[in-house]
Amino acid sequence: MTTPAHHPPVMDPRFAPPFPAAALPILQNTQLRTNVAHATDVIQTKRNSLVAEKRDWQELRNSAAAIRAHVLANLGDYLEQFESNCTAAGGTVHWATDAAEARTIILDLLRQEKASEVIKIKTMTSAEIQLNPALEAAGISAIETDLAELILQLGDDEPSHIVVPALHVNRRQVREIFAERMGLPQLSDDPQALTAAARTYLRRKFLSVPTAISGANFLIAENGSVAIVESEGNGRMCLTLPRTLIALAGIEKLLPRFSDLEVMLQVLARSATGERMNPYTSLWSGVVPGDGPQRFHIVLLDNGRSRILARKVERQTLQCIRCAACLNTCPVYRQTGGHAYGSPYAGPIGAILTPQLERMQHAQSLPYASSLCGACYEVCPVKINIPEVLIELRAQVVNQQRAQSSRWFDPMFIGMKAANVTFASASRFQIAQRLGRIGLRVFTRSDGWIHRLPSLGGRWTLSRDLRALPNQTFRDWWAARPSKGNR
Amino acid sequence: MTASSSRRTILDRVRAATSADANTYADIPRNYTHRGALDTAARLHLMTERLLEYGAEVIEASPADLPATVAHQLQSSGRRTFVACPALPPELLPPDVNLKLDNDLSFDEIELCDGVLTGSFAGIAESGTIVLHHSPSEGRRILTLLPDFHLCILRASQIVETLPEYFARCPELPRLATYISGPSATADIEMTRIKGVHGPRFLSVIIVRDDL
Repeated sequence: MTTPAHHPPVMDPRFAPPFPAAALPILQNTQLRTNVAHATDVIQTKRNSLVAEKRDWQELRNSAAAIRAHVLANLGDYLEQFESNCTAAGGTVHWATDAAEARTIILDLLRQEKASEVIKIKTMTSAEIQLNPALEAAGISAIETDLAELILQLGDDEPSHIVVPALHVNRRQVREIFAERMGLPQLSDDPQALTAAARTYLRRKFLSVPTAISGANFLIAENGSVAIVESEGNGRMCLTLPRTLIALAGIEKLLPRFSDLEVMLQVLARSATGERMNPYTSLWSGVVPGDGPQRFHIVLLDNGRSRILARKVERQTLQCIRCAACLNTCPVYRQTGGHAYGSPYAGPIGAILTPQLERMQHAQSLPYASSLCGACYEVCPVKINIPEVLIELRAQVVNQQRAQSSRWFDPMFIGMKAANVTFASASRFQIAQRLGRIGLRVFTRSDGWIHRLPSLGGRWTLSRDLRALPNQTFRDWWAARPSKGNR
Repeated sequence: MTASSSRRTILDRVRAATSADANTYADIPRNYTHRGALDTAARLHLMTERLLEYGAEVIEASPADLPATVAHQLQSSGRRTFVACPALPPELLPPDVNLKLDNDLSFDEIELCDGVLTGSFAGIAESGTIVLHHSPSEGRRILTLLPDFHLCILRASQIVETLPEYFARCPELPRLATYISGPSATADIEMTRIKGVHGPRFLSVIIVRDDL
């Protein structure tokens, strides 16, 4: 096996299979599940101990959530403020209403630069707009410089986590990929040696490729600065060495002031990697003469965000700072990893973000990919009530289905309709109970349990047993019991 | 869609979505810890401890001993060619070390240097963070990136305990800033922390006791 996945998973929500179908083969892949469990355990343990040492953690969360909510409520003003300050500092601001427009802007800029290669810092937003396939089609080779992204790119694989995208790949698999693609048959599977191989492989690229593409962790309205938070230094390389830098950022990434980082950086590093601070954070305003790229473009991407902004319950989705703490803690993600979500945004945040970015036209199974246990809400550094949004989105999915004419062929819909009629009246409910008792008697075994039901009910008994209906209901018992006076 | 119409479209959509909102900046709660409670000695101790946890090397020096300490650290680093920020005080630059000043050196010239000597803007003890604002005594960003060994001078008076204290100390907003918390690292392969992916693999910090 030369690649970790037999075939690359589909990460475009428009074409990805529904979550349960995508999850099934993954659940049978014990190697992948071991890798995911190990990685999420390590991050969670570190995160928990560093959060525990922070006595003002809840106060920081409250402030972080309030800052993000404030930005969203005043987003128009902050976007314009950022634009004018970034422009004054020598940057060029572009606006993209959707993914296609963002791709066009970036490709046009690269053509002006006559770029045949481009070095990239890990950016989920570029995966959201499917940038790499567009670059490839235009004959521009994109070189991912984050170690995990490089592993995935060389292994023809897809990211499965927002912060550590290759957590589903283990050292032996990385060795296979690097040995083959870098032409290093003698390479060992020691992470130190593998990292050194990546360092050497990318060094030449950093020093020679004149154009870079990045995402952004935060945009500072007050001075038009962009912040990039990273560990490896590949970000700093891409932000410093090339002649031209193109950053792509969702319009929600703003912060009002430089000093708001005092809250965001504290919660981000602890939540994302379980560190007090990530090794490198870079901030720059536009173009600085004599230091770094002398041409700086930033593409502000809407792509459905303004629509989310308009919705009361769902707006909080945009508070996200992409720390992935909700992935690491989610009992569903921890079993399936990220590929089952069929989108660059996996886990609980992906389950609410992806269907909304897709205008609820695709990824409709994702709001159901949760047990609603609330662990994601508890760890979220910006206090996004993910279960609340999941329930809202489920309601929207059901409403859509209700409007479809094919609904009368759906046994689930008919069952629910029948239940609605039955539960609406006490007498109908009583009759249904009696009928049910008689009907279920056939399926009840001598041990008092129903082990197998036919048709739709069979889906329930596939994984659980059902207790037989009791001979007497509470109402029957109440009516039949001796009245108080006779006692 | 033309460029200006996309801008208009997005801003119009955003404004329509938020037209009913009233949320002012002053109302954001700020009940987290702003100022630390440690005295100077404990603060320096914490800074040192954090840097050591990252695998960095920490040496203390009095202001008078600083030039000798710099010379010793460079000589004992096992490296031969060095580059330094152009605005460091000349007395800090040891005469018998192969060291050039970054007066607009090319990337290739910097890449050929084994080590770099810089000042710094601040230190944050709680997270062991070194802050560079890239003034001429802290160097261009590239300077602290390509060489494998970074010797950084940090004055005790520049060290604060908490991140908010650093922000309170910023008189004006920096055009450039880099926060360094330990050497370059990755945990992308099986969550095993590996030092030195692309940035300097070795960080050495001289804490100058200008507080005594």
